[in-house]
Amino acid sequence: MGAPKAALEWHGSTLLRRTVGIVGRAVDGPVLVVRAPDQPLPPLDPGVRVLDDPREGLGPLQGIAVGLAAAAPDADVAFVCSTDLPFLHGAFVRRVLAAFVEGVDVVLPDARGHRQPLAAAYRTALAPRVERLLTEGRLRPAFLFDECRVVRLDDAALLADPVLAAVDPALDSVANVNEPADYERARARPAPQVTVQRFGTLAGDGHGGRRTLRAATLAGAAAAAELVLDRHVVAAVNGDRITRDGETPLAAGDTVSFLAADAGG
Amino acid sequence: MRVPGGYFGRALVVDVTDGTAELLPLPEPVLRAYVGGAGLGTWLLHRLAPAGADPLSAEAPLAFVFSPLVGTPLTTSAKFAVVAKSPLTGMVNDALASSHFAIAGKLTGHDAIVVRGRSPRPSVLLVDADGARLVDAGPEWGLPAAEAERRLRERLGRAWRVASIGPAGERRVPYATVSHDGRHAGRGGLGAVLGAKNVKAVAVRAATKVASAHPQAVLDAARDLRARSFGPATAKYRELGTLANLLAFNAISTLPTRNFTAATFAEAPRLAAEDLAELRGVARNSCASCTIGCEHIYAAKDGKGVRVEYENVFALGPMCGVSDPDDVFAASARCDELGLDTISAGGTIAWAMECAERGLLDAPWLRFGDGAALLRALDEIGSGEGLGGLLALGSRRAAEIVGGGSAAFAPHVKGLELPGYEPRTLHAMALGLAVNARGADHNRSGAYEADLSGTLDRLAGGRAHVDAAVETEDRAAVMDSLILCKFLRGVFTEPFSEWASLLSAVTGWDVDGTELRRTARRIVLAKRMFNLREGWKPADDWLPERLLTQTLEVGSGRTAALTPERLRAMVDGYYAARGLDADGRPPEAALEDLRLEFVGG
Repeated sequence: MGAPKAALEWHGSTLLRRTVGIVGRAVDGPVLVVRAPDQPLPPLDPGVRVLDDPREGLGPLQGIAVGLAAAAPDADVAFVCSTDLPFLHGAFVRRVLAAFVEGVDVVLPDARGHRQPLAAAYRTALAPRVERLLTEGRLRPAFLFDECRVVRLDDAALLADPVLAAVDPALDSVANVNEPADYERARARPAPQVTVQRFGTLAGDGHGGRRTLRAATLAGAAAAAELVLDRHVVAAVNGDRITRDGETPLAAGDTVSFLAADAGG
Repeated sequence: MRVPGGYFGRALVVDVTDGTAELLPLPEPVLRAYVGGAGLGTWLLHRLAPAGADPLSAEAPLAFVFSPLVGTPLTTSAKFAVVAKSPLTGMVNDALASSHFAIAGKLTGHDAIVVRGRSPRPSVLLVDADGARLVDAGPEWGLPAAEAERRLRERLGRAWRVASIGPAGERRVPYATVSHDGRHAGRGGLGAVLGAKNVKAVAVRAATKVASAHPQAVLDAARDLRARSFGPATAKYRELGTLANLLAFNAISTLPTRNFTAATFAEAPRLAAEDLAELRGVARNSCASCTIGCEHIYAAKDGKGVRVEYENVFALGPMCGVSDPDDVFAASARCDELGLDTISAGGTIAWAMECAERGLLDAPWLRFGDGAALLRALDEIGSGEGLGGLLALGSRRAAEIVGGGSAAFAPHVKGLELPGYEPRTLHAMALGLAVNARGADHNRSGAYEADLSGTLDRLAGGRAHVDAAVETEDRAAVMDSLILCKFLRGVFTEPFSEWASLLSAVTGWDVDGTELRRTARRIVLAKRMFNLREGWKPADDWLPERLLTQTLEVGSGRTAALTPERLRAMVDGYYAARGLDADGRPPEAALEDLRLEFVGG
C-alpha cells in the first residue's frame, strides 16, 4: 500500500479510527486494537485499549490470540476484524454477533465468495487453543476452524437480517483494501447516505426538519448541514452517545441529531 | 460590626403571630462563608429552625434571602431565595425567583427577611423604611398569586413589590409555590409554609441604598458580562427558551414519558418549541436586571398569554402522555392560578394515571393522554374534592396510602418529584438527583451538563460521572448564593475565578476561585447537615425502584440500564469525593468549618 493501512486517510479521518468507531457502536464492551511491536497508530478515542503484539510475522491468528486473551475478562464473545474494512457497517457486526448461540465457538461469514476470518466473531475462551496452534506452527485460521464448532453465514443468511439487507445489500462490509487501487476505488465512492436533523436554535432560519445528505464522518455531516462543531454544538448519532468528535464515523442509514450544547432549563 | 460592600449585615426576623420584629446580626465571617441566597438561607435555617419542627408549624421559619450582587448592574443578579424546611420532603428547601422583589426587598435594608409564627388572620406582611407590620389580606385571600400581587400594588402603591401565594398555598398543598411577577419560587412547597402562617403575601418597598466596595470595577464587570450575555451561550434561552429542550431530548431518549415508562414521546413534535414559537409565540420577557430575556409567552386557546418552559410542558405533557398544546398550556395556566409547582403536579398526576390504569385507583376517567382528565385532576387538587386530597400530598405520600406496589413507580427522590431528565440515559444526572439535599431537582444538580457535553458516555456511569456531579453541584451552590441566573453559566470559562472577581468587586473581599470552591463545599455540606438533623437516612439518597429495574432502549438499539449496583457505586464515590463516611455522614472535624454556632460580630 505504501503506507500503513491503519493510518490511511478516510474522509478526514483514518481507516483505523473509522473501524474502531463502527465496531464500538455495535458492541457492548470495550474495543481493543492489537498492533505490531512499535507500530505507530493514528489518534484513537481515549476509551480504546491498545495491545502490543509481542511477535511479528505469524499472521492473523497471532493478533487474534492476543486480542481474545485480553478481551476474555470482559466478554465471552468478541467480534474480530481487520482495520482495512472502510465500508464495515454496525448492522453487519450485530448480525454476526446475533448468530452466536450456546455451544458455538466461531461465527464465520462466508460472504462475497470468501470466508471472512477477519470479520468474524470468536468465543474469547478460544485464546489458549489459538496459542497452542501458533506454538505448533499451524498459523492459518482454517486450522482453528477445524477444531471448533463454527457457524457459517453465507450471503443469504447474512441478508436474512432485514436491517443489514437495507443498509448494506451488497455486503460491502467485508470489502477490504489490499492494493493502492483498491483504496483509490473505495475512496472515490460516495460517502454513505445519512439523515441529519438540527434541533432548537440550530433549527432556525429554515434549518428545521430532517434532511438526507452524504457524509462519512460527523464533521462531514456538520459541514453539509452548515454547522461547526464548536463548544456550543454537540451531536448524537442514532440517539446514542453525545459527542462533538468530528471523526466519529457515519454509516449508511445513520441519523445525526445536532443539538445546542447548553441543555439547561 | 464592619459591613462589607453589598450587604447590610443583618436579617429582619418577623414574628407574624403579633407582628413584632427583631434584627439578627449577620457577622462578616458568616456572610463570607455563605455569601447569600441559598447558602445564607441554609445558615439561617440552622440558626432559627427548631430541630424537628413541622414545616407547617408556627415555629418553622421561612426566609426570603437576598445576595450581595442584588442591586448592582450585573445582569441576572435580581434574584432572591426562599428557604425553609419543605413540607414535601421534610428537608432543606431553597427555591429561587427573580425580578423587582429581590431589589426592593434587599433595599429595605436587610440581607434577609425571615417570617415565623402564625398570624391570627390572613395577612400581608409589609416591610419598608417603617419596619415590619401586618395588614389584612382578606380582599386578596383566595385569589391567584398574580391577581393578589396586582391588587396589593393597587392598594399599597406601585413602589411596593409583592411575593404572594395562590389558593394552593392557602390550602397548604405541600408543592405550592411562592410567586412574584409571574415567576415562581417553585419547588418544595414553600407556598404552603407561608400559607400555614396565614400570610398571603410579603410586600417590600425600597428604603435605602447599598454600596459596592469598588463601584467602577462592578460597572466594568457589568458591561463585560452584559456583552457576553448576548453571545451564543445564551442563544437558546433568548431565541426559543427552555422549551427548546423538548424535541432534542426526545431525539436522545431523555424525555420522561408516561410516568417514566418511556423516554421518547411519539407526539413530541406537537409540543416542540421549533414550531410553536412561530405559531403561538406572542412575546418575550425578561426579569429585572436581565439582558437574556428567556421568558417566552405563547398564546393559549382563549387568547391569553401563557409562559412556557420546558419543565412545565414536560411535566404536564409527555409525563402525562398529553400532546395537545392547548391542554398543556391550559394545565400550565391552571397551575399558575393555583400556585402549584408544575413538576410535582404533573409527576403526581402521571403517577395517579398509572395507578388508575392498573386498577389501584378507582378513577376510570384518569388516563394517560387525556388532557381533560389532566385539567380535572388539577382542579380537584385545587379544590380538595374527589382525588384532590390524595393528589395534593405529592406522589411519595400518596403512594404510601394507595400501596399496591405503587411506591415503585412514584417519581420522586426524598419526596420531590423528578424533573424532565431521564436518569437511565443520563447517568451523571442520575447521581445528582439521588444525592442532592433538595431531592430530585435539576437546578441544584446540573450534572446533565456533563452527560450532554460529549465528555463521557451518558449510559455508563462511573468515576467521571461522580466527578461531574460533584463539580456541577458545587457550581450550583455558588451561583444560587451569589445569586446569578443559571442561564448565564455558559458564558463563564473559568467560573469560580470569574465569580470570585465579581464578589470581590462588590464586597471588597480578597476572595479567589479556590475560596469559592471551599464555599461551595461548605454550603453543600451545611444542607446535608440540616437534613441529617431532620432525620435524613442513607436510603434517601436513592432513585425510584422503576428506574433501577426497568431498562430503556435508545435509538441506536443500545440498552440503557441503571442498575442498583451502578448507582450504589456512584453514590459511594460521591460520598468519598465529599469526604463523607460510607453512610453519607461528615466527619466531626468538617463541622467546625460550617460556623453554625457563630454569633460573634
